[in-house]
Parts: sequence; C-alpha cells; structure tokens
Amino acid sequence: MASRSMVITRTILGQLVRQLPAARFGLVSAHVRRAAWARGLRRSFEQLGPAFIKLGQLISVRPDEFSAELVAEMQRMQDAVPPVPVEAIRAVIRSEFSAEPEELFATFDNEPLAAASIAQVHRATLAQPCRPVWGEVLPIGAEVVVKVVRPGAAESILGDVVIVRRLAERMAGTRLARRFDPVALVDEFSGTVDRELDLRREGRFADRFAFDFRDDPKVQAPRIVWPRSTARVLTMEFITGWRLSDLEIAREAGVDCRGLAIHGATAFMRQVFVYGRYHADLHPANIFVTPDNTIAYLDFGIVGYLTPEERMNITQVMAALIYRDPDRALRYSELLGVHVPQEHVEPVRKGLGELLDGDVRPDGTRDFAHFGLGFLKLLGEYGIAIPSGYGLLIKSLATVEGVARALYPEIDIVETAQPFTTRILAAAMGDPVRIRERIPAAVRAALRELVV
Amino acid sequence: MTDDVMRFFATWLFTHEAADEEMKAAIRRGISGGPEGMSGGPDAFVDGLAAMVEEEKEKLKRDLEARARGEERAIEEPPDPALDEIRFEVAELRGRLDSMESILETILRKVSG
Repeated sequence: MASRSMVITRTILGQLVRQLPAARFGLVSAHVRRAAWARGLRRSFEQLGPAFIKLGQLISVRPDEFSAELVAEMQRMQDAVPPVPVEAIRAVIRSEFSAEPEELFATFDNEPLAAASIAQVHRATLAQPCRPVWGEVLPIGAEVVVKVVRPGAAESILGDVVIVRRLAERMAGTRLARRFDPVALVDEFSGTVDRELDLRREGRFADRFAFDFRDDPKVQAPRIVWPRSTARVLTMEFITGWRLSDLEIAREAGVDCRGLAIHGATAFMRQVFVYGRYHADLHPANIFVTPDNTIAYLDFGIVGYLTPEERMNITQVMAALIYRDPDRALRYSELLGVHVPQEHVEPVRKGLGELLDGDVRPDGTRDFAHFGLGFLKLLGEYGIAIPSGYGLLIKSLATVEGVARALYPEIDIVETAQPFTTRILAAAMGDPVRIRERIPAAVRAALRELVV
Repeated sequence: MTDDVMRFFATWLFTHEAADEEMKAAIRRGISGGPEGMSGGPDAFVDGLAAMVEEEKEKLKRDLEARARGEERAIEEPPDPALDEIRFEVAELRGRLDSMESILETILRKVSG
C-alpha cells in the first residue's frame, strides 16, 4: 500500500514537473498555468489506471467545483486502454458461470470490440432465445455484446480509492481545496465506482429506460440478456449505428439528423423533468443514431436521480431560463440548495439577468451552455456552494445541447424545452394541495379586480 | 394529470372563446413567442401557457365535431400507467429470477464438477 502511495505521488509530481516549461515556470497568465497543470494531472491520471481514469471522468462533469481548464482537460481523458488477453476475460466468464463462453453462446468473438478501464466488451450470438424485461424477444442467433469487468479491476480500484481518500483528508483545509470538499468528492467517486463495478445496476437502469420510453419508437436502449448476466458480466443486445463522429455517413444513409436532434433533446428533458432519472454520462461515444432513424442510448454506468420536489424546482429554473425570469431562477435555485447570502442577492441577480440576456447566438438561437455554465461560474465567484446534483444536471444539460448541436447545429434547446416545461408546470397547477394553498390569494386578486 | 389540467383549461377557453379579449391577446403573444417573444418574465410564461391551452382547445373542438358527426371517439385512451408499472415490476422480477437461475446453475456445475 505504501509503495502504491509512493507511485501515485511520484507519477503526479513527475507529470506536473514536466509541465513546468509549458507553464513558463509560473511566469505566464493564470489561464496558461492552470491549463498546463491540468494537462499534467490528466496525463498522470491516465498513467495511474482505472481508479484515476474514473476520478478524472467525475471531475470532467463537475464544472461547479473545478476550474474550466481542468474540466476541459479531463473531458479529453481517454478511457481506451490496451485490452487484457482474451484468456483473462474467458476466466472471468468461467468463474461467473462455471462454463466456457462457447457453452453459453452460439458464438463468442475472442477479438475485443472495445476495452475501457473497468470493463472489456466482446461480441457474441445467442444460443437460446431470450425474453427481455421489456421489448421483443431476442431470437436464437441474435447478436449481443458481452461486457466483462476486467480481472483485478475491482481490487485495484478499491485499493486506490483508500489511498486517494487518505490524500484527500490531508488535502482538506489546505489552499488547494478551497473550492471543493476533497473528502466528499472521493466519497461520491467511491459510490459511483461501486455502482459501476456491479454491472447488474447498469442492466437494470437500461431496462427501466426502455420501459420509460416504451411509447417512443425513436428512442432505444439495449435489451439485457439476464440469463447471461451477473455482477461481473453483462450481456446485452448489439445495436448497430453511427457515432456522432460519423454523422456524414449517417446523413448519406438517409438519417434525419435534424429530427433526431430535437427528439433526443426532448427525450433527455423527459428523463429529467418527468422521470427524475437520467443518463448522466452522455458523451458522443454513448449515443448512436441507427439506420432505422432512432437514437440509441448506451452505457448507463453514471446516472442521476432527482426527487419529485427537486424535479419540480428544476423545471421552474428551466422555465425561468426560457422566459428570462431571474427572480424565478433564484427562488427555485434556493430550494435546490443554492443559498445566496443576502448581501450577494442583488449582484447575483444582476449577473443572472445579464446571462439571460446574453445567451443568444449570432444565428438567433439560445445558448444553454452559456447560461448554465455561466451561472455556475457566477456562483463560484461569490463563493456560493453548489449542491453536487445541481452541478451534474447543468453539465448534463449542456452536454445534451452539445450533442444535439452536433446532430443539427441550428437547434435551439431552450425553445425545445419550452412546451415541455410549460406543460409540466401547468400539470403542477392542478395539484390539489397547491390549489388549496393558492386559492385564497387568487380570490383576493379577483375581488380586487372586481372592485376597482 | 397534465392532460386533465389542459383539458380543463381548454374547456374553459372553449366556453369563453368569444368573450375574453385579454386571453386572445395572450394567445397571440404566446403563439408568436419565438426566442424574441419569450423575454417578458412571468407574463411571458402565462402567454406561453395560453398558446398551449389554445392548441388543446382546437383539439377538443375537433373531437366534439367528430362526435357530433357520430364518428369513432377521436380521443385516444392512454394505457393505465399504474397497470403498466405493475407489468414492468413483474417483468423486472422475472429478469432477476433469470439471473439468479443462472447463478444457481453455476453453483450446481461447480458442485457437480
């Protein structure tokens, strides 16, 4: 353990020292310095393996706690590692099922389809039909992917988490940790990793997602083959399609990218505002457009959950953005845990108003990322703590906007959200409790109108 | 719930269609409210809502006309969400049982092997 601590410290310091020339030994602007340190940190994380790659990914979705340079650098983090030999993967399958892959599947491809820090993916075909939790039966011969946790990944990650937590405890209270609570971050990270190491959780979320979108033929998630799934092996339907980086080919094949962009953005809002559970790791590799003109969501490793109350308050914040109402945004952000001290209310309100007025792109469409990330930055400038769920959601919405714009650059995500949020708020007006609360004020207003 | 509320407003709007000029103005503003028109704070929200209620009212009108002509009921009955939820929970349970069954088979193979 002590030697691993040494390796971690040496690797991080080594990479940071290597960045000294790029940071001009501290004699350049703060932005260049921060970018150089962030690069060093990202390289050291890539070198240190799965736990640090995952930690980097967590940092990349937290612009509320980390500098823009560090978030941008961590977004570049490559979760593509050299594959482990197929024999090691076969050993995991053997230990989970006490059978060779060929006994479990009609075919099993020894060549990996993808290799990431936690799991490796191989193609296979079904030997028996499978009735999924939701959707059509997968027939014999159906193509599937088998996701297998890399041998030793759990042990190495959990070992590193213990070390990183100790480092975080030492870091807490120092100048380095003034913008965030390192121990809370590591604990959140530890929870995320625990969930990712048990692949059944991912499978269950995929099932739930398929059920939530059962009435929407344009959205799909892979069907899970539960008889061939355990905590360390997840077998799911193989979905063919194009990644967002291959959109030109998709367009040539007749895919309606504009329609899918609008639909995809609406589908995400439905996850957040209606169901309160959403795919929180929507980078371009996790979304496909398929030849049948559908959007396929993959990899439900990182997901976000909202309580009904949070959902309603977030809808109100979104409505505030749509209708440019800074007071509404502040009122409902407060209910979400963003406490603005009295002395900062006016400047924050003014800054928020400016953000709302300045979120129009040259083509006339609204820019959610400008508003959302600008708001987080504004709060950071006044030292106002941002609840982790709030930051994660804003980042996710900004990512959805980016993804939608990759499909269709002229999309206006704010305009897309308008009917959605308006309908939800209209539905909330029908809540009997709310009606009882508001009726006296409404009657008073009506009487005032009548007597004037 | 949303549909109930929208239906309620639509019915109200339908009966007040001729009377309320203020409401009509709000609908006009709401319909024309692209990104430019959505800058009026809380009032803009009311306009946006009014435009959506207007849409619902038009739908209601078409439904009533269809019924008056004796056509098949145009309003689609959505599936009962509570029943769907139960179906999902049962299916999810089946998935868990499938997974457990494969674990049991593994244990059996290990014991007998």
